Amino acid sequence: MAIKSIQYNQHTINMSYEIINPHAKVDLIVLHGWGSNKNLMKKSFSPYMDTFRHIYIDLPGFGNSTCNLMLKTADYARIVELLMIHINASKDIILGHSFGGKVALLLEPKVLVLVASAGIYIPKSLKIKLKIVLFKTLKIFGLAKLRSFFVAEDAKALSEPMYQTFKNVVNEDFADEFRAYGGKALLCWGESDSATPISSAYKIKELITDATLEVYDGDHYFFMNKADDISKHIEKTFLKTLER
Amino acid sequence: MKLTILFGGASFEHEISIVSAITLKAKLSSFDLTFVFCDQDHKFYLVEASKMKANTFSKNQHKKMPELSIANGCFTQKSMFGATEYKGTVLNLIHGADGEDGTIAALLDFFSIKYIGPRIDASVFSYDKRYTKWLCSAKEIKSVKYELLSAKVHKDITIPYPVIIKPARLGSSIGVSIVKEESELDYALDTAFEFDTCLIVEPFLVGVKEYNVAGYMANAEIHCSIVEEPQKNEFLDFEKKYMDFSRSEHVLKADITPALEKKLIANFKKIYRSLFEGALIRCDFFVVDGEVYLNEINPIPGSMANYLFEDFQGSIEALANSLPHAKRVKVTYDYIHSLSSAKGK
Repeated sequence: MAIKSIQYNQHTINMSYEIINPHAKVDLIVLHGWGSNKNLMKKSFSPYMDTFRHIYIDLPGFGNSTCNLMLKTADYARIVELLMIHINASKDIILGHSFGGKVALLLEPKVLVLVASAGIYIPKSLKIKLKIVLFKTLKIFGLAKLRSFFVAEDAKALSEPMYQTFKNVVNEDFADEFRAYGGKALLCWGESDSATPISSAYKIKELITDATLEVYDGDHYFFMNKADDISKHIEKTFLKTLER
Repeated sequence: MKLTILFGGASFEHEISIVSAITLKAKLSSFDLTFVFCDQDHKFYLVEASKMKANTFSKNQHKKMPELSIANGCFTQKSMFGATEYKGTVLNLIHGADGEDGTIAALLDFFSIKYIGPRIDASVFSYDKRYTKWLCSAKEIKSVKYELLSAKVHKDITIPYPVIIKPARLGSSIGVSIVKEESELDYALDTAFEFDTCLIVEPFLVGVKEYNVAGYMANAEIHCSIVEEPQKNEFLDFEKKYMDFSRSEHVLKADITPALEKKLIANFKKIYRSLFEGALIRCDFFVVDGEVYLNEINPIPGSMANYLFEDFQGSIEALANSLPHAKRVKVTYDYIHSLSSAKGK
């Protein structure tokens, strides 16, 4: 692990990162999902792809990286980009899980690996809509204390800037960004994912010109025991970029 | 013999301390042991011997155990009707911050609790590698040349590659890296700065021989362990050093000349005397061209370096019976009394 201080909008963000295979020539940057951290990603992918220099990054506000300001997804991408400049990393391959997938997309790498990526807007279910109406009504009666019964699992125990950040990044629609992406994309999805359903994968595949989809058994965290196979597909996809 | 093992602490080496405590439970099986765990919030818990497993702490089960507070001469467990006191001698087994930086020493001294472990001054000189260098020059012991780097001030390194970069205030090998060429430097610095704002840079000596000696003072005499040549794979990193866990098997005596052994032991005694009394410490030495250099002092070595002693239980018992007494000033109010009587009041 290592720490690099990044200056961003008059704030100092300590970015925690870890490099594996430091002498490899091709960079693979790995970004975790919301509420997760680089160790989970490292545990899955570090045993594979030893011809790449793996760079595991804790996104601001997660793991050992700090964050004391409100951010948008584009800010996340810019901060990761600044860190990459500092550590002389190039955008060969960027892998992003869930929220990290949106950040990866905005970085526009040569090879974009989206593992159960967020970014496709999913309309709220009736149940959620009712919950929101109910809570807003309770608030009128001064019962805002009951918030913890309503707030999303991902938003509990967040600091104020991170809660604002959460509201910024959740439910974003990145359809235009997916459409604008011009590189090679590899989409890996768990069939029974309930956080970012498989329907998102089909939509993204339509939006990105050069995209391949691999569907696996499992949920939102399916990659944890499929890293071996995903890695093979990543290597294959990267080799294809050299053919041209 | 009654002994209280104090372990844990708010330190990067918290988990190593847990491993050490579990090892000592086995190594000191004939003792009447009490286990006191200090969690990262500086709360003390009484841990039953049967619960001394690594999982107990990683799963936060200690929070359900009786909480202890510290009082004059003992740890106490408050209950509905009074309090139970745990008076035995304490073995300070907290590695790194808290345990080795003088915090625990100060706490135990302040509350007049007898303990095995480095005193405040000994902690200061062994915990921070900068001060160990100063100690070496004061005691005329050779140490490897070095440069300091701080996170605040940019400075170039003048020592030629390969160099070894270490956080100034960390035991074990956490945050340490060997840098063979400039391209590796940046990451090595980021790695070390994650743990400390001050770094030590030393030349990395290729093919150097490394020897460890442990020892303690008992009955006015310094007793040294066998000299060990640690197995090393370039250098021991954190995982190799500790994650093979206990290191409880006995190691073989290093195959060295009696002259070199004598020299290493003489150096150990020079470091120990008049500073480390009350502690069992391990010194790690480098030998280059027959010259002995001090690499580092571990004032609370992992698992108390039990594997270096033939009779480890006997050693701990002897040490426990020869602990230095902290002198406490007696306040007599003589001065105020004399003034009062002079004034005729």
